[in-house]
Amino acid sequence: MKLLMEDWALPEIDLTLCNRCGTCVARCPTGAVEMGSDGPFIARPADCTYCTECESMCSQEAITCTYEIVWGMDS
Amino acid sequence: MESTVQNLRRVTLFTDLSDEALTRVANVAFRRTYEADETIIFEGDPCRAAYFIAEGRVRVYRLSPGGREQVLARLGSGQTFNTVPPFQPQGVNHATVEALTPVALYVIVREDFRRLVGECAELALVILQDFADRLDHLTNLVEDLSLHTVRGRLARFLLEHASAAPGGSGVGIQATRHWTQEEIAAHLGTVRDMVGRTLRAFADAGLVRVERQRIILLDREGLEAEVQH
Repeated sequence: MKLLMEDWALPEIDLTLCNRCGTCVARCPTGAVEMGSDGPFIARPADCTYCTECESMCSQEAITCTYEIVWGMDS
Repeated sequence: MESTVQNLRRVTLFTDLSDEALTRVANVAFRRTYEADETIIFEGDPCRAAYFIAEGRVRVYRLSPGGREQVLARLGSGQTFNTVPPFQPQGVNHATVEALTPVALYVIVREDFRRLVGECAELALVILQDFADRLDHLTNLVEDLSLHTVRGRLARFLLEHASAAPGGSGVGIQATRHWTQEEIAAHLGTVRDMVGRTLRAFADAGLVRVERQRIILLDREGLEAEVQH
């Protein structure tokens, strides 16, 4: 099945809160985050596992990984 | 002065105050700005003032003796902090508050705040209503903390915040609002790490499945049993 990237949720980076410290780039286990001229961005979305490491390490709380709580089909 | 009144009107606590009462508040409130990352007040310091956010976002947190940080709240424009300690005789700041963005605050020093509440019954009533709401919330939280473990509290949170009926949509799931793990932790009176750890334990037990941006509840009876813990 083809992966539709618009359905591929990614951590959200609020550049107005970001201080460009680069921790998210350094700590991303899959190297999906890079530092651009405006700040960090998910350069390789397909590599992002949504592990939330970037969110937990961000001292500025500029990165958020959100979850919706839903019922599974058989529950 | 008019702009101060207008800005203070946007503070939730003051929304319904009469113009006269709000003008009295404006007479003693002064504006102060902070840069992002600047600490506005420190936990444990003597309380000097109450604060009302005009612009920007702040983070309210406490540190455990071991240095573990518990984020109590993130507040934005229209919200308030440090309104309780001014009424305690030896009031100290209950938490540290740090600017997340550039912040503009209206500040009312402790003595002015106390005097104003004593002189203006209308203001006293809205402050009492606010305190009553906080007391209600804290009473429920204390009950929760006393009677339930983090596992139990998280299980209840998941059951209460998942969509009302299971399997209602075409793909077998119904969407609810989005939460960060830190928001869930603040709601439960614990820290983010505990939420992550407990979610993994629930997943290992087959109660939930954690996917990209979704916590999928799999076992209602199992989660309800956890609530009793």
